[in-house]
Amino acid sequence: MTTKAQLDPVTLEVLRNALPAIAADMATDLQRTSYNMMIYEVQDYCCALLDADGRLICQNIGGVSHFVADLGVVIKDAVARYGKDGFRPGDVLIMNHQRVAGQHLNNVCVYTPCFFDGVLEGFAIVRAHWADIGGMSTGTSAPGLVSDPWMEGLQLDQIKIYDAGVADEKVLRIIRDNIRFQEASMGDLRSQIAACNMATRRFDELFARYGREVILGAIEHIFDETERRCRRRVAAIPDGIYEADSFLDADTPDKTNVIPIRVKVIVKGEIMTIDLTGCSMQRKSGINGRTLAGAYIAYKGLTGPLDNVNEGSFRALEVEIQEGNFMMARYPAPMAAWSRGLPTVVDTILKALAPALPDRIPAAHMGNLGGSLTFYGVDPMTNKPYVLQTIEGGGWGGRPYEDGVSTCVSVCQGDVRNSPVETIELKAPVIVERRALRENSGGAGEFRGGLGIETRMTNLREGKWSLSNAGRRQCPPWGIAGGQAGQASVNYMRKPDEHDLKPFDPVRMQSEPGSSVMVATAGGGGWGDPLDRAIEAVQRDVADELVTIESAAKLYGAVIDPASGRVDIGATTKLRHDMRLARATSEATP
Amino acid sequence: MSLVIALDIGGTFTDLVAFDLASGSILQAKSSTTPHDLAIGIRETLLKSGLAIDSADTFIHGSTVAINTAIERTGARTALLTTKGMRDVYAIGRGNRPESYNFLFQRPEPYVPRRHTFEIIERLNATGEVIIALDEAGAEATASRLSDFKIEAVAVCFIHSWRNPDHEARVGDILRAVAPDIQMSLSHEILREYREYERTSTTVLNAYVGPRVSKYIGDLETLLEGLGFRGQLLIMQSNGGSMSPSTAKRIPVATMESGPVGGIIAAAETARGLGIADLIAFDMGGTTAKVSLVRDNQPDIAQGYFVGGVGGGHPVMLPVVDIVEVGAGGGSIAWLDEDGALKVGPRSAGGHPGPVCYGRGGVEPTVTDANVALERIGAGKFLGGEMPLDVAAARAAIETKIARPLGMSVNEAALGIVRIAIAEMSLAVRSVSIGRGHDPRDFSMVAFGGAGPVHAAAIARELHVPKLIIPRAPGHYSALGMLLADNRHDYVRTYYKALEDSDFHEIESIFSELTHEAGELLASEGTPPEAIHFQRYLDMRYSGQEFPIQTALDASQLESHDRGIIRSAFDRAHKKRFGHQAVDEPVEIVNLRLTAAGQRERSKFPEIVQGAEGSVAGYRDVVFDDPDHPIRCAIFDRENLYAGQAIDGPAVIAEYASTTLLPPGCRLTVAATGDLVIEISSS
Repeated sequence: MTTKAQLDPVTLEVLRNALPAIAADMATDLQRTSYNMMIYEVQDYCCALLDADGRLICQNIGGVSHFVADLGVVIKDAVARYGKDGFRPGDVLIMNHQRVAGQHLNNVCVYTPCFFDGVLEGFAIVRAHWADIGGMSTGTSAPGLVSDPWMEGLQLDQIKIYDAGVADEKVLRIIRDNIRFQEASMGDLRSQIAACNMATRRFDELFARYGREVILGAIEHIFDETERRCRRRVAAIPDGIYEADSFLDADTPDKTNVIPIRVKVIVKGEIMTIDLTGCSMQRKSGINGRTLAGAYIAYKGLTGPLDNVNEGSFRALEVEIQEGNFMMARYPAPMAAWSRGLPTVVDTILKALAPALPDRIPAAHMGNLGGSLTFYGVDPMTNKPYVLQTIEGGGWGGRPYEDGVSTCVSVCQGDVRNSPVETIELKAPVIVERRALRENSGGAGEFRGGLGIETRMTNLREGKWSLSNAGRRQCPPWGIAGGQAGQASVNYMRKPDEHDLKPFDPVRMQSEPGSSVMVATAGGGGWGDPLDRAIEAVQRDVADELVTIESAAKLYGAVIDPASGRVDIGATTKLRHDMRLARATSEATP
Repeated sequence: MSLVIALDIGGTFTDLVAFDLASGSILQAKSSTTPHDLAIGIRETLLKSGLAIDSADTFIHGSTVAINTAIERTGARTALLTTKGMRDVYAIGRGNRPESYNFLFQRPEPYVPRRHTFEIIERLNATGEVIIALDEAGAEATASRLSDFKIEAVAVCFIHSWRNPDHEARVGDILRAVAPDIQMSLSHEILREYREYERTSTTVLNAYVGPRVSKYIGDLETLLEGLGFRGQLLIMQSNGGSMSPSTAKRIPVATMESGPVGGIIAAAETARGLGIADLIAFDMGGTTAKVSLVRDNQPDIAQGYFVGGVGGGHPVMLPVVDIVEVGAGGGSIAWLDEDGALKVGPRSAGGHPGPVCYGRGGVEPTVTDANVALERIGAGKFLGGEMPLDVAAARAAIETKIARPLGMSVNEAALGIVRIAIAEMSLAVRSVSIGRGHDPRDFSMVAFGGAGPVHAAAIARELHVPKLIIPRAPGHYSALGMLLADNRHDYVRTYYKALEDSDFHEIESIFSELTHEAGELLASEGTPPEAIHFQRYLDMRYSGQEFPIQTALDASQLESHDRGIIRSAFDRAHKKRFGHQAVDEPVEIVNLRLTAAGQRERSKFPEIVQGAEGSVAGYRDVVFDDPDHPIRCAIFDRENLYAGQAIDGPAVIAEYASTTLLPPGCRLTVAATGDLVIEISSS
């Protein structure tokens, strides 16, 4: 092998694959050893390597998309605070402070410095959602409940918990004493540290093998080529200024006080600017955060959804956002529900671009972080606390060429999985009566929106239910190009002495045995005129009972014989003609 | 006369290896696979082999019918019966989107549409108690309606049937009575493990591929019978064992991933013959490279996989030899992406048109072309000289497509292509070894597949694997491995309880139920009692974790009822796998597992002739690590090597369907078994 430290295309390709493999292995390790469901089932975490300046070298893909490229600020802040010479091998730091991290306090960052030949070369970091971080942090997402960070939980601001390999037992005790589910969270901390240590070792091996100059040169090169690729994809979008708006549900009892989302996307050559300055300023509710994730997720999806993420992925993107915007809120704004608005922001950016990319942009998806059911209590037999949580997906928007996907988690969540019925019943005293597609929930369109879900449970012993309002009820998932909106989400509850389920959002509600709850998630919006939907597709939907015969006629103008299940083509042609005529008439006479 | 025949159907070739236990001779035959009617290729291969089929004792068969049926979606019209309220469990899946940034992500299409999914009124709770009785009349009505929908196969999966199978079994009786022509799969007969979506998916796949696989096996039985075969037919499984045709017809889904397992079994046995217990099996063919870890001569087993890929595939929760596969094979194409970055694979030129050097119309340079350009693979003796390779064409393709655009020499580009493939395969080796808590320095590597032996030394060196073994017949290794497979059946039973609260009498009684069932099955497949071996496992985890670790326990450890012993076995396993343990955390049991093996008589291959020095067949200038300075080195014909002979690298050992590259500094010794044992030097 040649000895000169040159950056040849072969070494480059080897490193291009080796670096993301480290982040992926961190994720595998963390997921298999963690103790709380938010990590092992919901995969609410991210793992990354950053360089000594806080630039992103690689990040795992698959967990939660709203963590994309958001660890740089944490490391930059750490370096500013401690100085590059302020770290030693064996250090472990912990951080969740909203001043910089800008997310709910459950998202705890743990990181370790990486050295080669005594020089600080970077950091390995894992951000993971702890089951609890004190205060009101268990199962938080209801934006109205937590009015500031002190109320939310324990704030950890760049604290060294290991100094050159020596644990600071006092700090660890303070953390332990101030959180619920200590075993789980301290176990997660161990897993986070182990994943960082593994990555530190692997990074060191690469430096030893290829040399400092080659590694750092390759990293720059990879950033540059990633940026170039993104630029090319943006260049393929017609130049223009594209705007769209939508809103999040009111966060006050006064339902008129909705939260405006206005976006402007400016495409000029290879540069895209996403202007979020028209979105709401920061709120008194916990919907605030400090995050660019809304813009980043949309841009990533447009410029290379299957490519690895690194610092170059967003260098050709400009995000306009002002201090004090609800997504760039000033500390100490409450941030307990920090990611709640993001799916809508992503969808609104896509909606703005629909005229520019008519063959790619789907109608809106459920637009919230899914139907979340939580039940917790103390097992009277063992006296141990238990928490059950599952996140139920919803419908995605119809696409310019096919129906939307049903019952999937949001654009902010990647490999987030629901909890199986059998797992739920093994772990908590409940019975799941139903987990089903929510019939008729997909927005009508030439390409129908995907369906939401209905999951219904009853508790057998006393405990507390939380089915928080996930939002987007006032602004259901919209259609595109003449498609109709999907059904909005609803939660239900039935007390033991009541007969029917009624719309209700229980929050930490002490519930008698025999109480039932049901979450119904939203359907996606439809794409295109429902009267243009292929009649075979309508017939199939009716046979599959995704759409009722009545809806087939009313929404799609398709007449189906209940006995045979077949479309009456003559009647359908006539009905569709009449409906188009009626539509034209009503448009002509406003 | 006792003859054992193994027949392996691959994508390109149908391979036969036969072993005569009396004379100790091995026979091989190969013909093209006939995808439209596999029986034609089988018949042809058998006739070509000239074997006396009527005198064979055992015929072992591995086929890709099940996996192809699933992937090509050519299976039966299938219905699904579920617990009331759970009709959509199968369609909903886990609700995840593995491609998290892709807003146009698409889910895999279910094998059963909603209109063929029917709810049955019944319900059990997690302890198996009936909370809603089975509505038998409703089940009967549904069963009798299935023919209206022209249903050919039906899957039944009820909530908590892993705990109590009564309702499923009763519905099975009803189906047998009402719809006897419909092939039926009951989830509890396939796996008794919790998680309803994964169990449903496994059961549905079983039903979906069932009729086609059953017919195929039936046809094969008829064909063999027609050729006078009177012995026992065995079918390979994904778990690395074999089973009887009747079991295969009942659980066809268990054959789904049986394709690559033969080679791994053979690797375990080759290593055993050399006194090696822990190894990395490395199989590189035309399209992909596959890596597996073998410890104590037992291949690592995974408890599930996805048909059609992790991203958008269908889960099957049955044991499978744990294989990590990467898109790097001899036929993998080297190309430049839109940024001019050099990439290798995952697209492959496969067998048709194949690499450029085959001269069958391939125009894109492949990994094999790079090896030919570097003179590592000899152009004249490929497939024993049946197929001369076009070196000039290979070099020209590398030059135009890669070298010139990158401003490199042809040798630099060719070496680069090989290095990238090696780096990718090394990551796969790393993930099965280091990634699972094992140090590759404690393992040997057994390399096979047509393209394995030419790359293996570089991979071994990269990961500090000290010893490399190139077995005999590396190009026919999969069929060879089938000759060595035991009959094997795996059982799982979810038993979810804190170790503290577990009831050992209950655990033992479940195990004895399982051993009884397994013993009966093995006996029915012709295994004598003394050849039956059981291995018990507890799947355990720290309370609050999701993924359990399978911990092997012997019967006496279980009989001791000593929680301390069991717990520390688990702590050790956790520490080994993840680098840390939590001795104060409560531990819970999730599943009980039993593996039942019926040992078959081992084929013992003949040793080769002793001798000091096989003759050198010639010399060639071969590029090793320096593109500008090829090294003149000796070329040996493998068939002319003697046992005990030693060769120092650099050297090349050529054989019928493969080439072994021995780098400078490495030393090769020919074992009495004929296997090549290479000591890997560290530099």
